[in-house]
Amino acid sequence: MGSYSVNELFAVLLARDFRPDDRSVQIGANLPMARAAAVMAGMTSQPDLRVILGLGVGNLADGSVPTVYPFLFDPRSQVGEALMVQERVFEDAERPDVFFVGGLQVDRRGNLNLFGIPDGEGGWKLRGPGGVALATMSTNCAGYYIVMPRHDPRVFVEKVALITALGDRTERERLGLPGGGPRFVLSPLGVFDFDESGDMRIRSLHEGVTAEQVREATAFPLGGGEDPPTTEPPSAEELQILRERVDLERTLA
Amino acid sequence: MTATLSSRTSVLTPLEEAVAEIPDGAAVGIGGAVTAAHPMALVRALARRGVRDLTVVAPTAGLDVEVLVAAGCVKTLVASYVGMEGVAGVAPVFRRAAEEGTIDVRDVDEAHCIAALRAAAQKLPSLPWRGGAGTSYAEVNPDLVGFEDPVSGEELIAIPALPLDFALVYAEQADEFGNAQPSGAGNMDQLLGAAAARVIVQVERIASNEEIRRDPARTWQWKDARVVRAPFGTHPYSSAGMIADVEHLEEYVAAGREGGEALAEYMRRHVGDAPDHDSYLETIGIRRIASLLV
Repeated sequence: MGSYSVNELFAVLLARDFRPDDRSVQIGANLPMARAAAVMAGMTSQPDLRVILGLGVGNLADGSVPTVYPFLFDPRSQVGEALMVQERVFEDAERPDVFFVGGLQVDRRGNLNLFGIPDGEGGWKLRGPGGVALATMSTNCAGYYIVMPRHDPRVFVEKVALITALGDRTERERLGLPGGGPRFVLSPLGVFDFDESGDMRIRSLHEGVTAEQVREATAFPLGGGEDPPTTEPPSAEELQILRERVDLERTLA
Repeated sequence: MTATLSSRTSVLTPLEEAVAEIPDGAAVGIGGAVTAAHPMALVRALARRGVRDLTVVAPTAGLDVEVLVAAGCVKTLVASYVGMEGVAGVAPVFRRAAEEGTIDVRDVDEAHCIAALRAAAQKLPSLPWRGGAGTSYAEVNPDLVGFEDPVSGEELIAIPALPLDFALVYAEQADEFGNAQPSGAGNMDQLLGAAAARVIVQVERIASNEEIRRDPARTWQWKDARVVRAPFGTHPYSSAGMIADVEHLEEYVAAGREGGEALAEYMRRHVGDAPDHDSYLETIGIRRIASLLV
């Protein structure tokens, strides 16, 4: 993967994709690359962005660099312009605009499973941690990013065993969900989005990854042609900002 | 006859006495969020008592649920998350109990939990919510009911009320009359209390009523509260003045994953054989506690 790690690549790709009208972003637990992406966007292209990091809500246009703690709700994260109060965080369905999700499985239609794999008899073959707030966030957010740390046929499946977050465009339209749905899916192999019918396709492949390799690692047919473009790698400037201003502890390296 | 502060009823209660009133089969809410502000001293005292068949409502949980499940106290669990972030993606005892079917897990989204507690506090049978429509929530949790909104015709989910017999929550301080003041965000704790017939609030320190009156915007009040003093009682989780104890959580997770004698040893050392909260703190040690203070 050259001179940068997968998590550094994820952080840069996510930071690049922020839209001008993304006003607030919230980051869940266990997603250090998403946290770095939001901070990077907040201190460069998004001066008006409110970044909800743990228990604090900050804006980074003043040049402040939020410290990264091992746990999201560290008491020292209670700094910034306002506090994030769990009881009130869903009072305004239009905040936050941007969210990031991971999962045990993602499918052809962009649905995500965080519940686990049922045993077919009312119990569990494999029990996950629970859906946290993914169902509500993915329903309401202007857009969300699916970040998958692994890419193999057990993770990229034809149909998820259970749906925690509904990505399927057709179903979302039928139900009239207010949010914009998944913007793209990131894996160590590439960037994926959805065609007009809502099926996942290759948008780009990371340096050194072949279309054949990614199709072998995916349990459903992936559109996007025989010769998809290569993901634009992080520039020297992007890596410098990430390493020297955001990820000072090099947790993404 | 003139009322005076001295004629006002004190609700200060010793730890063991406060949890002694929680009977088998009770519905108990537990405050805090992920690795922060769980009333762990109350949870350990409850586990030590060995109550049975609890319905536990723990919005975003971890070791609080683990200890109660390991002690055999839980029949039904309502939660949106049971894990320890980077230390354990899924909490080990919860995972095993769910997979073996020894507890009944009712999955809720964090926002479902809020709607259910709000409905209980408002004495409503349910409240509607959109997040979760089109997902498998109603399949994994048969309490949730899909319905067509009578106004718009939209497919929504009716979130049934979750009335609690007791809410166990943490605040930084309270006075002897049950006026509690959190330090910081407060998570879902105020609402948990409103949904409960009785609140047991665990605090670092007892404040005077005069001190509470200096910052009334911070005060939480409930209809019926007991106040329990347990300094550093969120350990191994964080409070405003103390960070979470990563090392302790790692030790617990290793024991929880191994199960059997390793888990039994953890439970004996930190729950069963520590007859009160001070004894628990002695199992951790003053050096460790001091190292966690902000």
